[in-house]
Amino acid sequence: MDATKKQDVRIGFYICHCGSNIAAMVDCPAVARYVEKLPGVVLSRDYKYMCSDPGQELIQKDIKEHQLDRVVVASCSPLLHEHTFRAAVEAGGLNPFFFHMVNIREHDSWVHTNKVEATEKAKALAHAAIQRVAKHKSLEVKKVPIHPDVLVVGGGIAGIHAAMTMANAGKKVYLVEREPSIGGHMAKFDKTFPTLDCAACILTPKMSEVGSHPNITLLTYSEVAKMDGYVGNYTVTVKRKPRYVIEDQCTGCQECIANCVYKEPKFHDEFNEGLGKRKPVYIPFPQATPQVVAIDPKVCLNFRNGVLTDKCKKSCVTACGEKKAIDFTQQETVQDIKVGTIIVTTGFKTFDAKRVPQYGYGKFPNVYTALEIERLVNASGPTAGHVVMRDGREPKSIGIIHCVGSRDKKTNRWCSRVCCMYSMKLAHLLKEHTGAEIYSFYIDMRTPGKGYEEFYDKLLEEGVHFIRGRVGEVTDWAMSPEEEGKLVIRVEDTLAGYVRRIPFDMVVLATGMEPQADAQDVRRMFNMSCGSEGFFLERHPKLAPVSTFTEGIFIAGACQGPRDIPDTVAQAGAAAAEALALIDKGHIEQEPNTAFILDDECCGCKSCIPLCPYTAITFDESKKKATINEALCKGCGTCVAACPSGSIVQNLFDDEEIFSEIDGVLAHD
Amino acid sequence: MEITRTIKYEADRVKGFGDEVRSVPGCEQLQSCIQCGTCSGVCPLSIYMDYSPRQVMALVRSDFKNEVLRSHTIWLCASCYSCTVECPRQIRITDIMYELKQRAIHEGIYPKKFAIPVLAKEFYKMAYKYGRVTENVLAATMFLKTNWLAALGMWRLGLGLLKRGRFPLKVESIKRRDELDRMMRTVDRLNIDALHDEKKKITSHRVEAAT
Repeated sequence: MDATKKQDVRIGFYICHCGSNIAAMVDCPAVARYVEKLPGVVLSRDYKYMCSDPGQELIQKDIKEHQLDRVVVASCSPLLHEHTFRAAVEAGGLNPFFFHMVNIREHDSWVHTNKVEATEKAKALAHAAIQRVAKHKSLEVKKVPIHPDVLVVGGGIAGIHAAMTMANAGKKVYLVEREPSIGGHMAKFDKTFPTLDCAACILTPKMSEVGSHPNITLLTYSEVAKMDGYVGNYTVTVKRKPRYVIEDQCTGCQECIANCVYKEPKFHDEFNEGLGKRKPVYIPFPQATPQVVAIDPKVCLNFRNGVLTDKCKKSCVTACGEKKAIDFTQQETVQDIKVGTIIVTTGFKTFDAKRVPQYGYGKFPNVYTALEIERLVNASGPTAGHVVMRDGREPKSIGIIHCVGSRDKKTNRWCSRVCCMYSMKLAHLLKEHTGAEIYSFYIDMRTPGKGYEEFYDKLLEEGVHFIRGRVGEVTDWAMSPEEEGKLVIRVEDTLAGYVRRIPFDMVVLATGMEPQADAQDVRRMFNMSCGSEGFFLERHPKLAPVSTFTEGIFIAGACQGPRDIPDTVAQAGAAAAEALALIDKGHIEQEPNTAFILDDECCGCKSCIPLCPYTAITFDESKKKATINEALCKGCGTCVAACPSGSIVQNLFDDEEIFSEIDGVLAHD
Repeated sequence: MEITRTIKYEADRVKGFGDEVRSVPGCEQLQSCIQCGTCSGVCPLSIYMDYSPRQVMALVRSDFKNEVLRSHTIWLCASCYSCTVECPRQIRITDIMYELKQRAIHEGIYPKKFAIPVLAKEFYKMAYKYGRVTENVLAATMFLKTNWLAALGMWRLGLGLLKRGRFPLKVESIKRRDELDRMMRTVDRLNIDALHDEKKKITSHRVEAAT
């Protein structure tokens, strides 16, 4: 490299101890001494916390006193503090892009165990940065406007709350829900812990508000099929499934249901977890929003295998009469909507209890999942709140098994957080409804929340038996007369120190929470990441809990990890606030690390165009050359590497900068 | 009613025992035990044990070597592997039981007249010497060394087997026993070296027969 040119710059180098995060594994003063001797370096310092205010002021002061024109900071990941230091450099009077950051924490001190070698690595990385920063050019941050509308994906309590918050702030919100009604899992619950207020009583007012809010466009029975664009300017394609009912014309009178040719409901009722039956034309539950019926083509007589045959006498159409709301010819439609930000609140799925065969779910009719019990104790449930088992008896003794599918390396490793609390809630409700003896089998009782431990106390006082031990098996094999005709739980009572066999009429499995089955598809569609367990990944577990790695896309609720209703609502509010902050700023500042085309050298071969993952490159027919839309370019560098004539250059990553960096990292041996 | 002190002092622990067991391949997961009791819940023999499998895990982890090596539990384990299959932390409990049994035999800490360790030992001896096990001789030896009166009660079975030629009085053996000897000597040398290292670390505790 050109040695004389290097001498022209005046570089300041700072290495951060990060308390002991870096200093414990990297000899920071030694790195500083090493860098000091490199060409172009005017001063080199080590400091305990570069990100602190004094650390930033140090940079600003040095820029003025030593006439620095380049700054390198070796510390943590640029993800955390590149912005901080760029701002400090700018405050010192330099272009913020005359700064470069070296990651010696995540890439070095945290991942190495040998201090000598880690220090050498830090020196090599620092050397590379010093060489590179000399070639940096002055760059400008560009601003693009943001579309004020918002898309909320998923109409559970998280989506409902986020949509309401945004709509009340005057933003236009599209709420997309896959099912015929919004409400999600919460609509299925009977009471909510620890206050025991009825779920429907607190949820349904919010649901109808959403339904009637002038700023909310409710798209139920719909799914997002595609997302294009970038922060502030997303184009989302929503697929609207045919419900064979014209939403605007249906008044929710339900005359069609009463007059269906099927006199008795006889089909699997999803909302009641299969415990009840519905007709082919149905409304999922009394407070469904919107109050619009749907027709299930899989079981409706007017269809065969989902194809319209028109063979039914269509008494529903006759009953509907003048409203003419039923339309058997309805087809799937596709709608494009433009929004600036997206809040993903797609929720969770409950663990399939059949995956734990030793608990007998699906084999013994009197083994239930917790969600089934929610419906069973619910006044609007299949039995109108009367707790009767599948064999028609009322249970006299009930065993509730915690942690089904959770905290187990063979199924889900995580604690689902809500099961201890909802199990106790169900114990209370079941006792209230049936007066049965209730046993709760837990591994550890987890009640961290406002009023949660007090709820545990209340349950102890109510006489619910708590047994610390994970159940070995549920069996119908009786070993004594008292066990005849019962389900027997075999468990070690770990606190009493005995293995016990306890007979029950009914067994309830407290199944845990899992990512939705299609979480991976949703993740890809919205350009998000997933953790190893499959829940959507937040940008930072503590400091950016509702942001994702894609700007303008936020997450809230159980799609990000198991959580209860209070936490979900809090998170939905947080996501709405983050989205509002972005929208009300009016514009987005774009990283200038975008690629551009050297018009004189582009030969118009078009090889870059199909490679761009963000469809940012188009072909200018008049000039016969490619052009890059800076607003769409994410700076991935794919086109730069692929261009056969080398006529695409990326800001902050031009050849000179990259080769200097490579020279630098190799210069240290 | 006799009242004894049940408190455990630090001196009752054999520090490092838990780490030693955990260092054996297959036993590493012990550390992640959450004491949920699934092992005891599924164990078909836990109903006879003095310490439940869960308690054994806790005792090993807390270095209560003497208690654990003296327990009946390790000898009652029938190696059905139910606990290992069901353990939510994938602890290989059966393998840990094997490790504990081996240590108990090495140190001579086991109930001397208890059939299971005797059977294990006699089985090993016979296979070592003849390369083959003669079941009735093995069973007879086991009864002689544990409870010979019980064997008398089984005379009818013995007679029946004898009549049908299923009770050979001669010990069966493989051909070319010299080759087996050479193999076993090599194995022994390696084992003795390993044992020798281990013995240095161990303060031996001999106990009276427990049964």
